[in-house]
Amino acid sequence: MGAKVPRNFRLLEELEKGEKGRGAEACSYGLSDGDDLLMSNWNGTILGPPHSAHENRIYSLNIHCGENYPDSPPTVQFVSKINLPCVDQRTGKVEPSRLPCLFQWKRENTMETILIELRRFMALPQHKKLPQPAEGTTFT
Amino acid sequence: MSALPKRIVKETERLMAEPVPGISAVPHEDNLRYFDVMIHGPSQSPYESGVFKLELFLPDDYPMTPPKIRFLTKIYHPNIDKLGRICLDVLKSNWSPALQIRTILLSIQALLGAPNPDDPLANDVAQRWKEDEQAAIQTAREWTRQYAMA
Repeated sequence: MGAKVPRNFRLLEELEKGEKGRGAEACSYGLSDGDDLLMSNWNGTILGPPHSAHENRIYSLNIHCGENYPDSPPTVQFVSKINLPCVDQRTGKVEPSRLPCLFQWKRENTMETILIELRRFMALPQHKKLPQPAEGTTFT
Repeated sequence: MSALPKRIVKETERLMAEPVPGISAVPHEDNLRYFDVMIHGPSQSPYESGVFKLELFLPDDYPMTPPKIRFLTKIYHPNIDKLGRICLDVLKSNWSPALQIRTILLSIQALLGAPNPDDPLANDVAQRWKEDEQAAIQTAREWTRQYAMA
């Protein structure tokens, strides 16, 4: 077992990875407020997977990393409207109990892990043809 | 959790037994590689009388790689960015395993006394420092009063 990277240094690593674009191509993320020393609030985007109702759409999300991140998962909320079984249709909040990487959270998971898993979730055979709200609409 | 390397134990003991004047570094009880650091602003600098909080982490491969360190107190300085990250050669390319937590903290304290706007991390601050040094120093003083004095 190695050194346990504290929250802030872990978030700085994620920030640098996100800024350099070294992450997966179809997902990106960054700080919503570049002045926030606590680095709590982040924006994420997911490019809809091909061959699905999400193709060519760009979804934006808010991610909140609390004090106990990464021991506890962040909270994740879609800003762009999406019809997906793990997303609360009133608020856009991702239900942790319905997304394995949140439900079985591990300290090694990152914000990128979550975005990639959400994208995979969108592309599942049982989800990819779900009717979607008009493009460009947002949860309020 | 694996045992803490002897090197880290020794450095910590010495930091406690013979603290550096104007600097303190205390490890977290639940993570002995993670330190709460306080640095007093050097006298005759715009940071004088300020007490700055920092956090320091010794990664797995320390001392082959440098400690990670950043300011938690807001500070107006050309080599420190908005997130408290520090641009200092000994934390990057000029790191050597012969350096220690103690020497790094002294280097950071010295950096407060000698800002280097030609090697900036916070570009807007560095630019102002070059264009109007007196005004920049005044802002640094104000920020010190506002954020670094309890």
